[in-house]
Amino acid sequence: MEIIQSLLTEAQSAIHGTHSTTELNGVESHYLGRKGPLQELMKQIGSLPNDQKPLFGQQINQAREQLAQWVSERREQLRGSELTAQLQQERIDPTLPGLPQPNTTLHPLTLTAKRVKATLIGLGFEFVEGPELEEFRYNFDALNYPEDHPAMDEQNSFHVREGWLMRTQMTALQGRTYGRRKPPMRMATIGRCFRKENVDATHHHTFHQVDAFMVDEGISMAHLKGTITLFARQMFGADVRVRFRPDFFPFVEPGVDFSISWKGGWLELGGAGLIHPTILRNYGIDTERYSGFAFGFGIERIPMLQYGVDDLRLFLENDLRFLKQFTTE
Amino acid sequence: MLIPIEWLKEFVQFDLDADRLAERLTMAGLEVEEVLRQPEGEVLSIYITPNRGDCLSVFGIAREVYALLGDQCQRTPLYERIAQALNQREPFEAGEAAQWASVVIEDPALCPRYAARVIRGIKVAPSPAKFQRRLNLADMRPISNLVDATNYVMLELGQPLHAFDLETLADHQIVVRQAREGETIQTLDGNIHEVQPPMLMICDSQKPVAVAGVMGGAETEVSDRTVNLLLESAHFDPLSVRRTAKTLDIRTEASYRFERHVDPRLVSVALNRVCELIEEMTGAPAVTGMIDVYPAPPPQRSLTVRMERAEHLLGFSFDDSEAVAALERLELRPTHQEARIYQAQVPAHRQDIALEEDLVEEIGRILGYDRIPEAPPVGVSMQGRDSDLSQFLNRLRHAMLTAGLQEVVNSSFEQESPLHPPGVQAVPIRNPMRPELSVLRPCMLNSLVATADYNQRRGVQDIAIFEAGRTFRQTDGQPPYEEPVAFGLLLTGKWRAPHWQASTQEVDFYALKGCVEHLLARLGITLAHFEPLTDDPRFHPGRAARVYSGDHLLGVMGELHPEIMRAFDLKRRHFAAEFEVAALQTTAALGVRFQPLPKLPAVLRDLAIVVDQNALYADIEATVRAAAGEWLEECRLFDRYVGQPVPEGHHSLAFALTFRNPRQTLTDEEVNERMEAIFQALETRFQAQRRA
Repeated sequence: MEIIQSLLTEAQSAIHGTHSTTELNGVESHYLGRKGPLQELMKQIGSLPNDQKPLFGQQINQAREQLAQWVSERREQLRGSELTAQLQQERIDPTLPGLPQPNTTLHPLTLTAKRVKATLIGLGFEFVEGPELEEFRYNFDALNYPEDHPAMDEQNSFHVREGWLMRTQMTALQGRTYGRRKPPMRMATIGRCFRKENVDATHHHTFHQVDAFMVDEGISMAHLKGTITLFARQMFGADVRVRFRPDFFPFVEPGVDFSISWKGGWLELGGAGLIHPTILRNYGIDTERYSGFAFGFGIERIPMLQYGVDDLRLFLENDLRFLKQFTTE
Repeated sequence: MLIPIEWLKEFVQFDLDADRLAERLTMAGLEVEEVLRQPEGEVLSIYITPNRGDCLSVFGIAREVYALLGDQCQRTPLYERIAQALNQREPFEAGEAAQWASVVIEDPALCPRYAARVIRGIKVAPSPAKFQRRLNLADMRPISNLVDATNYVMLELGQPLHAFDLETLADHQIVVRQAREGETIQTLDGNIHEVQPPMLMICDSQKPVAVAGVMGGAETEVSDRTVNLLLESAHFDPLSVRRTAKTLDIRTEASYRFERHVDPRLVSVALNRVCELIEEMTGAPAVTGMIDVYPAPPPQRSLTVRMERAEHLLGFSFDDSEAVAALERLELRPTHQEARIYQAQVPAHRQDIALEEDLVEEIGRILGYDRIPEAPPVGVSMQGRDSDLSQFLNRLRHAMLTAGLQEVVNSSFEQESPLHPPGVQAVPIRNPMRPELSVLRPCMLNSLVATADYNQRRGVQDIAIFEAGRTFRQTDGQPPYEEPVAFGLLLTGKWRAPHWQASTQEVDFYALKGCVEHLLARLGITLAHFEPLTDDPRFHPGRAARVYSGDHLLGVMGELHPEIMRAFDLKRRHFAAEFEVAALQTTAALGVRFQPLPKLPAVLRDLAIVVDQNALYADIEATVRAAAGEWLEECRLFDRYVGQPVPEGHHSLAFALTFRNPRQTLTDEEVNERMEAIFQALETRFQAQRRA
């Protein structure tokens, strides 16, 4: 019995004398391990008289429990200080830069085209594609341009060969569509146009346009104005107003240009009008029953207004320092 | 078109200041681009749309001002006199003029009307100050009383005129005919032109003396010594004038107007007006009478307009009286037919009005488009959608954004380039802006390399970009042209930005391949395979591949050939890929099909072998997969090692293999069997050895 007691005293001071969890683990396995002193004492139980055996065993078990409790208490103490030390030691400078992730974006013209499309799709327009290298007949003839008319001078074009040119206006799609579809229709297209113009901050030989048109019963200038207004408010804000002014495009009658209210003034955005009856009749559409409107405008204008881009040339130059500015869109 | 206000007021009187007038004109379709304030007075700079040839004069603008302002505006006696003269229908007597000259029109289709008057005993001198001032305001240089008078009347009424020195015309005769083969003419600007049919010429009895409607000839020009004049005023076919001017590359104030149609009634009115002014300037009256050859005056045109339809198209309602007043002020003389239906008489100066809808526009324009309300579209509701192509391109773009590439958008124009695909002849532009923009791009590579170069010159060295766009192809230089949509990628410099903690690598073929594989994975193209590409001069023959999905060629990729780098003066290696979007689109998966998650555990094994470096990895992996059987879920190469103790010419490849049987848990023995089979197959086919 005294042996057990002195063993406990010895173990207690050993446990309290430890300075780390590792050290404590050593002490724990020494006293409580399979070859520890308590296990050794337990082996002697056989040599004891039978009446002493239960008491001896009980005392050893109590001693074991006592030891386990002291180890556990000591472990809690050590863990607290060790954690503090670990946290202290593992400090880093949180102000150092993080591992950079790729931060890339769509081109601003793509971003703008997506917004324009989303808005017009919401108004029921279906987008279709046409070729950039277009036939003269779709670019001009089908759009009611009289043969060799001065109206074509306003769109100095790039020629590829007789009858083929780089399309000067997205309206070219209308000619392609009327022959294939029947009213009612709401169609739109967005793409690249080309005019032989000297390049400066506001002119480019390559630019992008959207063209939308609708043919149905009872379509009037009021529906045109309403549609453009809905579109403009989605794009530029709920208080935007739209103004029409007479203008001339061979493919509409009446023809207008439309402006939006912008910063206290009016900003011309594009051209519009009711689809010219001659065009509808050429494609076998009864103009007493059906009428339609069309409108179109340049895409570049939108990011120029929206983001304050001041030079049209930036869009096709692809300076990455410019393009990276659109990552928040 | 420059319109001095002072001159305008000689025809119409109004109280508006120049800015208010400009606003009214602009809102009616005559866009005043600027009000110029010159020391001699205010001038409106007006943009005239090409359909409104009738507005290319002070009088034409005065007519519009009157139509717009209505009661706020009075027509002057001069206006009334001109208007009355325009409506005079009696033919003119040749009188004494016939003794001094004669006129023959051989081609009345191209010249429906030709009139001439003769003035004798003139003295050429500078014109009076008033005329010089007005010409200056209209940006036309005063020259002499005769020239100034013809220019003045052209600006005032819109009718181009020409003065011949009568004594230089052979037989004092004017013959209007098409040029004959071999004829030449020296024009006023000193240039000599070879002319041919069907160009219309003003000739004397022998030779051309003017290009009709375009420019006079040098030989018959009035000079300081001119004493006797023949004044020409004529109407020419717009298309004929336009084509001749274009072919000869001469654009003049006269051709500009004739191309846009000049009122044929002006021929006599302007001719009398110029004679009146010359007499005022010089005191020399014209010889009495006018030679006026006008075989077939056009009939009066009339059009019906239904006010109900006008309201229906314009989208707002109005009183008939408003519309009738608008038409009356526009000289369209509406007469009531039946309920809300009117008949208008179209005056000869309004060539642009041919349909009921044109009258509807006139009514709307004069009543004001601010009356149009905003109404949402009516009719059958339709489902809007984007095109299939555009939706697919968005998939490609987003795949590249998630791979860390930046989108760029380049011009369709470029020049011939060694980066064009071998054997492809780019479509040339006949009239390019510059030689560097003389063909349509047949592929994306040149655009992408140009973009990289542009940025490198501006200090951005690490570039990872992509572009989607049209390319252009032709067969034997003939239409129809093909316009395949292409998708290109380019990497150069470092992959990812340098960081203090992580080392950054220069991009290489495998960085590019990673992007390509990512793209294919995002498209669900699981059967893609890569085959070495050795014969494309644009790519390094040892570092390029063709990309296939099954038998479909999707595109090419690789490191740019050192010769290309030299040609473009590229300092760093560039890696590029190009795909045909149509090929991607036909092989891409259409959507997602859910796969149940595995319920049984997988068994993971590594396999390391040493094998000849000349054996293609794709063949080795295919052998592994074939031998592993259906339970192999994943085969990933996680290490490749070259060097001691691996023998020269060999490398060690280490695979992480994942096995799983979805129906029951695999035992070690089952997997060991498979591993052995895999190794046997590799040993047999590639003489592979195990690596410890």
